[in-house]
Amino acid sequence: MADIKYAAYICSGCGIGDTLNVGALEKVATKEGKMAVVKSHPFLCSTEGVDLIKNDIANEGVTHFCIAACSRRAKAEAFAFPGNAVSRANLREGVLWVVAEGPAHDEVRQEMAEDYIRMGCAEVKKMTCPAGSANAASSRRIMVVGGGMSGMTAALAAADAGYEVVLIEKTAQLGGFANNLWKRVPFNAPHAEAQPTGVAEMTAKVSGHAKIKIHLNSTLAETAGAPGRFIAKIAQESGAVTEETVGAIVQATGFTTYDLAKLPELGGGQANVVDQAGLEALAKAADGGAIKRADGSAVKSVVFVQCAGQRGSGGNGDGSHLDYCSGHCCATSIKQATYFKDANPDVDTVVMYQDLRVPGMGEDFYRSAQKKGVIFTKAKVNKVAGGNSCRVDFKDLILDEDASIDADLVVLATGQVPTSGVNLDEWTTTVTAAESGDEAAKQKKSELQKISVLNLNYRQGPDMPQFKYGFADSHFICFPYETRRTGVYAAGPTRRPMDMFQAQEDATGAALKAIQAVENVARGAAAHPRAGDLSFPKARLEGCTQCKRCTVECPFGAIDEDEKRFPVFNQERCRRCGTCMGACPVRVISFENYSCDTVGMQIKAVNVPDEFEEKPRILILACENDAYPALDMAGIQRLTYSAFVRTIPVRCLGSANTIWITDALNQGYDGVMMMGCKRGDDYQCHFVKGSEMAYYRMSKIDDTLKQLSLEGERVQTYEVAITDSARVAKMIDDYAAQLIEMGPSPMKGFG
Amino acid sequence: MTASIATNQTILVVGGGIAGMTAALEAAECGKQVLLVEKTPTLGGRTAQLYRYFPKMCHPTCGMEINLKRIKGNPNVRVMTMTQVVAVGGGRGDYNVTLKVSPRYVNENCTACRKCGEAVSAEIPDAYNYGLGKVKAAYLPHAMAYPQRYVIDASIVGTPEGEKAKAACPVNAVDLGMQEETLEINVGAVVWATGWRPFDANKIQPYGYDRIANVITSVEFERLADPHGPTGGKLLRPSDGKEAKNIAFIQCAGSRDENYLRHCSRICCMASLKQTQYVREAYGDAGKSTVYYIDIRAIDRFEDFYAMVWKDPTVSFVKSKVARIAENEANGNPVLHGVDTEGYHRYATEHDLVVLAVGMEPEVSGVKLPDDIIIDSSNFIEGSKDGGMFGAGAAASPLDVNRAVQSATAASLKAIQVIHKNASTEAA
Amino acid sequence: MTTATPKYRNNFLKEVEANVEEGHWVKMCMQCGVCAGSCPLGPHWQHSPQKIFMMIRAGKREEVLTSDSMWMCTSCYNCIVRCPRKLPITHIMHGLANYAHRLGMAPKGQPTEAIAKLFWDNLVKTGRVNELKFSLAMYFKDGFVQGIKNAMAMQGIGLGLVKAKRLNPMEILGGHACKDKSGIQKMVAKAREIEDRRKGFSGAGA
Repeated sequence: MADIKYAAYICSGCGIGDTLNVGALEKVATKEGKMAVVKSHPFLCSTEGVDLIKNDIANEGVTHFCIAACSRRAKAEAFAFPGNAVSRANLREGVLWVVAEGPAHDEVRQEMAEDYIRMGCAEVKKMTCPAGSANAASSRRIMVVGGGMSGMTAALAAADAGYEVVLIEKTAQLGGFANNLWKRVPFNAPHAEAQPTGVAEMTAKVSGHAKIKIHLNSTLAETAGAPGRFIAKIAQESGAVTEETVGAIVQATGFTTYDLAKLPELGGGQANVVDQAGLEALAKAADGGAIKRADGSAVKSVVFVQCAGQRGSGGNGDGSHLDYCSGHCCATSIKQATYFKDANPDVDTVVMYQDLRVPGMGEDFYRSAQKKGVIFTKAKVNKVAGGNSCRVDFKDLILDEDASIDADLVVLATGQVPTSGVNLDEWTTTVTAAESGDEAAKQKKSELQKISVLNLNYRQGPDMPQFKYGFADSHFICFPYETRRTGVYAAGPTRRPMDMFQAQEDATGAALKAIQAVENVARGAAAHPRAGDLSFPKARLEGCTQCKRCTVECPFGAIDEDEKRFPVFNQERCRRCGTCMGACPVRVISFENYSCDTVGMQIKAVNVPDEFEEKPRILILACENDAYPALDMAGIQRLTYSAFVRTIPVRCLGSANTIWITDALNQGYDGVMMMGCKRGDDYQCHFVKGSEMAYYRMSKIDDTLKQLSLEGERVQTYEVAITDSARVAKMIDDYAAQLIEMGPSPMKGFG
Repeated sequence: MTASIATNQTILVVGGGIAGMTAALEAAECGKQVLLVEKTPTLGGRTAQLYRYFPKMCHPTCGMEINLKRIKGNPNVRVMTMTQVVAVGGGRGDYNVTLKVSPRYVNENCTACRKCGEAVSAEIPDAYNYGLGKVKAAYLPHAMAYPQRYVIDASIVGTPEGEKAKAACPVNAVDLGMQEETLEINVGAVVWATGWRPFDANKIQPYGYDRIANVITSVEFERLADPHGPTGGKLLRPSDGKEAKNIAFIQCAGSRDENYLRHCSRICCMASLKQTQYVREAYGDAGKSTVYYIDIRAIDRFEDFYAMVWKDPTVSFVKSKVARIAENEANGNPVLHGVDTEGYHRYATEHDLVVLAVGMEPEVSGVKLPDDIIIDSSNFIEGSKDGGMFGAGAAASPLDVNRAVQSATAASLKAIQVIHKNASTEAA
Repeated sequence: MTTATPKYRNNFLKEVEANVEEGHWVKMCMQCGVCAGSCPLGPHWQHSPQKIFMMIRAGKREEVLTSDSMWMCTSCYNCIVRCPRKLPITHIMHGLANYAHRLGMAPKGQPTEAIAKLFWDNLVKTGRVNELKFSLAMYFKDGFVQGIKNAMAMQGIGLGLVKAKRLNPMEILGGHACKDKSGIQKMVAKAREIEDRRKGFSGAGA
């Protein structure tokens, strides 16, 4: 390994040199930071400035360096040195632009800048450049679970991009729910007529594709490993088990229809009351002719009841069925009404809806059905009675009166229920009980395993974590595919209620993410949101106390346990958030460029004035994605805040180890502000549980504070959103004022 | 001359909003070469102009920060701002694209130090805030603008103001001699992520957007609610700067209307439901929102959000397409006239402020697209006849951000398939 | 036509489509209510246009055809201009009124119906509108005494119109006519016959 040589490059541009004493900063870097090379430049991000650094790397043997200039968020391309360990001291957005102007603030401003130089130097000394662990031999095959429209689409999409695909279908044929459909809603202009489903053509295409290997009558008995090296045990109905090595997984396990029997008030289970799937079957049997009931008589009048057993939580129901809307059912009923009209325009077709939901060009399909004479009635259906002549009691919401009509057939538009395997909360409870010897729990565990889709052998359970209502959805708007199981992507109605068009689009997107996952593994790089990050957690297991916190707290289920209960890190599943590092009570987990030391040494590098100087020191640990940009933007908007704060960006607040807090307090800091994202059910943390964990850990720190005879207020957690630049500036000033009021930390001088 | 920045192994993504950024990044992170062109000076598109997302009420800039970080760190993506596609020749796998690059008058030297902005006194309408405020004619589009580089507005080039900006720049970044450039490139596939624009509310004559100060659009309301907006996040109405506490939200302003947009814009119901919660955020129980609607289209799991808003006592719903808006000249209040169709109740209701939930119109409406592009009756892009160009996001269909990202990710893979075919043909 | 129309079946809608001018548009309404709110006479309508469309779809034949709502339409065209589905609402309203009239179901003494009938009778006679006779017929439609009262009340306007040469007192003697009076009458009769045949009327409703 080459020798390490440290350097610091200080930019005096953007007014830094006009306002700060750059000479003094250089001196700090040399004397206190112990940097071998220290240079300043009036325009460091210019070609000339960057060349200065490159030249030192090439000719002076500089390997590790601190760039003291603007925020790490600025000029990222200019200051990209992939082969070196680089820290950034934020003199511009972090000092110059946020400390009040004028000579009255010269002293505190300079102190702040000098501290950031000290911190930048201290940090880089503990950093190494991430080497990555590329694995070109990893598997690039994509496994698709589920052979319906979504699964087949995902399989074809990946195969057509050149990737081998293993497709698993539990039934004897491909096609899934689409096999039961007579036609589908139109996807393209003019959005006027129901279209052939195309399922047979697609099945043929998938079956004949050279890159797609199909396992019918098969389920997953076990999925072990990690992205790039999943080993799937595929169990056939016959009992035979085949093993496939795959790199990533698309879960397209679809949905089942809501059980009609649960809707007796709407005639569920009674004669001539069917759900939409039932109507498709009648339409298929009719094959374009008159649609007949089970008793063989042609249907002369039909009523469609929308939102049957759906949308229950608002003003629309009592919450006893599905709360959500399945999205596709309005268009589906429109389609089905046209089945009748196309065969015989004299059939009376009434669609009873509360809100007709046909977004986008669906409006054209709606119009087309109206044109065919389908009657739409805004109504709340109260009761349906099946029988030879069905009766529908409803309130016509437009005419504001109760009414009832008779019909030969009633179609209930019921919802989609996702097929997403085991609920992990239930799993954890069951496993915990089973481990303590509860026989019933052991029984239940094996039952749960039977309904599991993936049977992952992960420490945290066999399936993807589910969100509300059992969907394997991601919780993000900007990143809908980001599940909590790296390399496993949900697609289609298992993820969210949806129609066929959306499901196919969704499946294509999921296929891309799966491809990306295998490419990431090959390069040894992290997946979203730290895309391309080559660092990964390393643990000094000799110091590990087998406390299991890292394995439990990892939001991505990346860490398993070996027989001795030591953590086993699966790098390919890891998203590099550092939650494990924050969790570890003995601090044995670290990343090459981010560790308890890289942060701890920064905290220690700060020059804490004694109690007589009336200059409190406040440590801010700020989430790098939201709070830190908010602070940056406060600078960009030239808002001011206290010069007493020293900010350290963290990958996620969940990576903050409590040792940092105790270090800071021991050092004589007067307060600590921890700024993370919104936590709770509607969390906004991109690592899911990070801010939640930080809050939880900090709630436990009170005892420690008491032992040190410190006030609880000296450590505060805040939810800071990225738009909060003005709010965060005020937050800091208020906290600084509060600390001055409280008086200096009694720990000063003991550190 | 064909510029060497792209080859038939390159995917061209047109439009740098959330869909375009997504399409570009997803392909780039699969190892593909991508050229991302954006016609305005910054990435982020209309998403960057939203205050919060439904249903999580989180901030679009949060995801944008991640996407920008991905772009900054990925050499596979090349970004060109102020660039438009003017012509596409060739076919699937081998397109010749003509790009027009408008002058920014600021080069890569810029450090966003703000000196030019301080030197210039001329002001222009603030596009970021939909013209609700003004910015200096030397400006950074917004605090998260990427590239983080100033723009000199063409209106001051050749004037003493322009010279002031140039003189103030400490790093020689202002180049007033920049000219429009035309560039020919070769690419394998094209993703059209050209997005949408809010329907021009002036066209909806009975709603008086052009006449009544306190009738604004939903996109403008986003800017009012945003702390980075013209009012610092206060819901101040235009006529007198007073706090608007009793706010009407009119659905289908332009959408579902054969006189204007024949399609349903999908997002507006949810956007208005979300905006009722801005009113709650501002005033608690003292605010009042009324939603005038035809059908509330809170699709799939969004129903939860609707149910939550539905239970909010400060929000009421009227099933009615408002017929017309008059103005109470004494206090500037808009007065809504119409009929509640649930039982036929006539109303004339006064509100402090009216927010028109304007529809999404494809940004390419009225733009000459390559002949090969297939569009629907509302000008949404369905794809191309030769199968080498794809619509993504709101260019393809009126979509919310989540669906736009889904659509863009799918389009990205379809583009990769074209490139893959090229690569395997060449290898063979 | 005496059997009760079934509810929420297409029977009445189909009847309207067959017999009412532009009646085939009724099914296209999406119940937004903009027509209801746009009508300047709206407050005088018992049922708004959009509600009438819903009533037609609900099979409320009697209620619709005996309603005086559609008689309120003054052809301002606000509703047509604003209808997002481009329904020719004005024409449908007139069509419905006409159909109700022909069925003899229009409300008794409906003034719009009366004036329309007077206008029509006046017009067909000579092929030209005799404004004087038309006005007088209007005044006297509710009896002689009321006619005198009406004429007295309107005399200022009447004299003004005469002065401005907009009303010719000589019209009382028969007035101007088109060249081929009987030709016009035959044409109208033929048109009616064709329409009646198409719509299945006996011709008694006129």
